[in-house]
Amino acid sequence: MSTTTWHADPNLLRAYVEGRLDAVLSASLERHVDACAHCRSQIGPLVEVPVLEEAWSGIRTGIESGRLPLLVRLAQRLGLPEPTGILLAATASLRLTWLTGGLVTLCFVTLASILADGAALWPFLLVAPLVPVLGVAVSYGPAEEPFEALTVTTPYGRARLIMVRTLAVLTLTLPAAALLGLTLPGPAWVAVAWLGPALAMIPLLLALASLTGPRLAASLLSLGWTGLVLFAARDLPSTWPVEGTQQVAYLTLALLAAAFLWVRSQRTQQIGVAL
Amino acid sequence: MNVQLTGVAKSYGGTPALQDIDLEIGTGVTGLLGPNGAGKTTLLRIIATSIAPDRGKVRLLGHDPHRGHAELVAARRGLGYLPQELGYPADMSTFGFVEYLAVLKEWNDRRARQQEVRRVLGLVDLADLAGKRVSKLSGGQRRRVGLAQALLGDPALLVLDEPTTGLDPAQRATLRRTLSVAARQSSVLLSTHQTEDVAAVCDRVIVLVGGRVAHDGDVAGFVASARDRVWLHDRPVADAVATWRDPAGGVRSVGGTPPTGAQAAPPTVEDAYLLLVGPAAVEGAA
Repeated sequence: MSTTTWHADPNLLRAYVEGRLDAVLSASLERHVDACAHCRSQIGPLVEVPVLEEAWSGIRTGIESGRLPLLVRLAQRLGLPEPTGILLAATASLRLTWLTGGLVTLCFVTLASILADGAALWPFLLVAPLVPVLGVAVSYGPAEEPFEALTVTTPYGRARLIMVRTLAVLTLTLPAAALLGLTLPGPAWVAVAWLGPALAMIPLLLALASLTGPRLAASLLSLGWTGLVLFAARDLPSTWPVEGTQQVAYLTLALLAAAFLWVRSQRTQQIGVAL
Repeated sequence: MNVQLTGVAKSYGGTPALQDIDLEIGTGVTGLLGPNGAGKTTLLRIIATSIAPDRGKVRLLGHDPHRGHAELVAARRGLGYLPQELGYPADMSTFGFVEYLAVLKEWNDRRARQQEVRRVLGLVDLADLAGKRVSKLSGGQRRRVGLAQALLGDPALLVLDEPTTGLDPAQRATLRRTLSVAARQSSVLLSTHQTEDVAAVCDRVIVLVGGRVAHDGDVAGFVASARDRVWLHDRPVADAVATWRDPAGGVRSVGGTPPTGAQAAPPTVEDAYLLLVGPAAVEGAA
């Protein structure tokens, strides 16, 4: 109930709503309106409905849509478009827990290789290229894409979604792994050379995944790479898996996989079959 | 015509799912009936650009989705689709899920997108549950979330695979109203096992049996095809396609030779469907 004996002039209320009053006068009027039911009822209609709706909509959206993951918010500050941020937020492998797990594993294998004083590069060479590959495989989403039947039929399309997620995973994992690679003992070029198989395995994964799904494709690639690295670790030089001839083989395989994806998307009538 | 199919066929591992389908669909609500395995979902997936037919031509909203990426995307821009089974991410809110799909449907302006998400959630009576996780919703509520995303942007072609599954009678009534409004400007194509949905909301009914169109026409004509073939009596008709207890008393028999004293009953969509499909319908409904 109002306990005041005077009421604010309508012009004064209007000036307040339109933000034309100075801070002192505004504060004084706010105190009065807090206590005066009559002035509150007068000021309500002066506030434009769209302004109120916009404020309310903003509050509701904040509560209803939930917060985007920290990494996506950071990326948005660096210029990532807002809609792309929403798409990436749904990507399992961009979650902080997954990234932390990947990084901790990388740190351990780097440490193992350092402690072995360059004699055993294989732990690093085994794990570093697999981190981005598994990241991309996981980024297809939990249990692949739970609403894949729908994603396929949207104008954005599943293939583009997978490419955006793949780029995001590579952007996040490759620099960290490259920095750790610099701390390795042995020849400096190894720090960069492992990027060869890592990058080659991405088109291989996408091509295999178009046939078998991402889970099986990632498992097959991981097994293949593990076998190769462990085979080399027995008798061959520790840098063998990333030496020149092998790099040419990786590049060839990557190009073949890319060509396979391209032909498959052109030839087959099946919509969205490639990727 | 929003949908034009010519000679469309599709098989899975040698088993034909659809054969020689010729269809034209304009505005209004078209109901798709048929026993399980008749090819309803396959047909809807082809129209929703989820899969391609093995043979035949498809034109959607004036575009040929198999002629290249630009045509495909142009067709998809006018499409809303609810698949028969839709997985839901465990950790997304209802609002977040629909907003995610809105982004995939190119709603890039944030304010317009969020207004649209709120509008479609309102259409399916889920505005108050927008902040709740999809995983915490009931089956019927999740089905409505699926419907909400299909309604994003008032698509010119709405393809709904069993939209009324899991909805209670009041929710079904709301959905029918929503679809009737949408169908004034759009083509709504829905599959269902509920023949009363067809009677209540559809202008046209297509019955698929064994991958072929067994009936295509308006609902009134379909119902009329069962006239004088539905009987009320105190006991079942021996050679009827189906019989069941009538709520008004007595036994309702569809088809067969009426015994003396049997009274002809006004037919329904269900009667016409049972007569057309025969024993396959009775088995399919099991």
